[in-house]
Amino acid sequence: MATPTVRSTKSAHARARLDVLQPADLRLRHGGRYQWLRRAVLTISWGLVIGVPLLHAATLERASHGLFGVSIARYLPASPAVTTGIVGAPTSLAIGPLELVDPLAAFGVLVAGGGVAAAVILPLLLVMVFGRFFCGWICPYAPIVTVSTALRALLARFGWRQRDVRLPRRSNMVALALLLVLTAAGGSQIALLMYPPAVIGREVWRLVYFGGLGSGAAVLGLCFAFDTFYARAGTCRYLCPGGALFTLLGRWSPFTIVRDRALCTDCTLCDVVCPMMQSPMTDKVDAGCDRCARCVAVCPVKALHVGRRTP
Amino acid sequence: MSAPPGDAVSRRDRLGLAAAIGALVVVFRPGRSLARRLRPPGALPPAEFERACIRCYRCAEVCPVKAIRFDTSIDPRDSDTPFIVASERACIACMECTHVCPTDALQPIARDLEVISQRVRLGVPVLSKGKCLAWTGKGICRLCYYVCPYPERAVRLVGVRQGPEFSADACIGCGLCEEACPEGAKAIRIDPMGGTA
Repeated sequence: MATPTVRSTKSAHARARLDVLQPADLRLRHGGRYQWLRRAVLTISWGLVIGVPLLHAATLERASHGLFGVSIARYLPASPAVTTGIVGAPTSLAIGPLELVDPLAAFGVLVAGGGVAAAVILPLLLVMVFGRFFCGWICPYAPIVTVSTALRALLARFGWRQRDVRLPRRSNMVALALLLVLTAAGGSQIALLMYPPAVIGREVWRLVYFGGLGSGAAVLGLCFAFDTFYARAGTCRYLCPGGALFTLLGRWSPFTIVRDRALCTDCTLCDVVCPMMQSPMTDKVDAGCDRCARCVAVCPVKALHVGRRTP
Repeated sequence: MSAPPGDAVSRRDRLGLAAAIGALVVVFRPGRSLARRLRPPGALPPAEFERACIRCYRCAEVCPVKAIRFDTSIDPRDSDTPFIVASERACIACMECTHVCPTDALQPIARDLEVISQRVRLGVPVLSKGKCLAWTGKGICRLCYYVCPYPERAVRLVGVRQGPEFSADACIGCGLCEEACPEGAKAIRIDPMGGTA
């Protein structure tokens, strides 16, 4: 790799750090309740992805081998999903009367010339208030990115440093636009075939119900390879249409990462740990922030916190 | 940009990116769905269905008999859309799936035999009399008649041999007859046409 030209002291400092530091090596010192809550929500999210199909499959299994090996599934009063009250992976979840639909799915239907379900309103409001929080808090692909980042650190320790290519920041917007145009022209919801959380939900479901994998497994494999060997969290940064949509919608979110200038020592750790190319150290945090607050947790002097954006 | 800079984009990266976008456009090229399959009950007509289905798998999740399965086709227009293989596991017409669809790709249909009879058409029944046990006189078989949710309307037993006679007007295309038809015969088939009546 060619030595980059030095533009400022800060970025030179950052470059020097990047060559030695792997984001996964940074310890989240005082994430405290925020990080544990985030991990708990991510665990619940994965719990739903795996647990709901397992529960439904188990209920069906018991029903179909109920009486002397004779299927009684046909005579069930209602399906297991109806009796448990939970349907769907995180992209389209229903818990009892609470209906949620992913805004990306709703937009896809909208551009293809269909109507939008009322179930999209709550997720839409949440995204507009909290920004791109789905990516850091709920998306089942987020822990996979963490694994990929750890793998990058491991490989670097063995002397095989992976590239972290910086594509244009708006790449995901281009991906979103392209996919929506193809959705409108093709009349088929293809954006959801390139959207990792939806793909994960489907593949896990398929595995549990039919014991096999579909084409989505290949998509996930490519995403993981992209993240590991090309750009850290590259799928979330540059490719994911959902992340792009949430970035657009979260533009007016009142939350951001607030820095206490008096405490900050310009150590760059926050910038290095950020998977979303934000720069809390220079107060440049835009709607691309996924609210993971790793920067807050990694700061050695507690100079950062999640707070209200000042105009 | 003040964020910590990573590696620069090389010429090879650019070519790779262009190739990836090209592949994306080729794979996702616009066009009609190719699938000619039984869609779940209440499904919109073919082109409209692929437009509305967000591939959330909810319909299959509530199906009490695992009749709904998903396309693994590489063609993204059909990929992950739901369909039914009646000969292996037919629809029991419980209408659960029609009520959970978040985008109304499956239109909600009341769980009422008369309403279902009017609004559900998964396909039309096609009988090959040459294969039918009753019509060929190879045996006494009335399985299709026994499993049909609309006996005497969708299927009647006629003649000396009591062979089945199907009526496309009254048949909802659930495929229970196709599933029940004995392995050696498989004389009745539901021809997919998709959509609500």
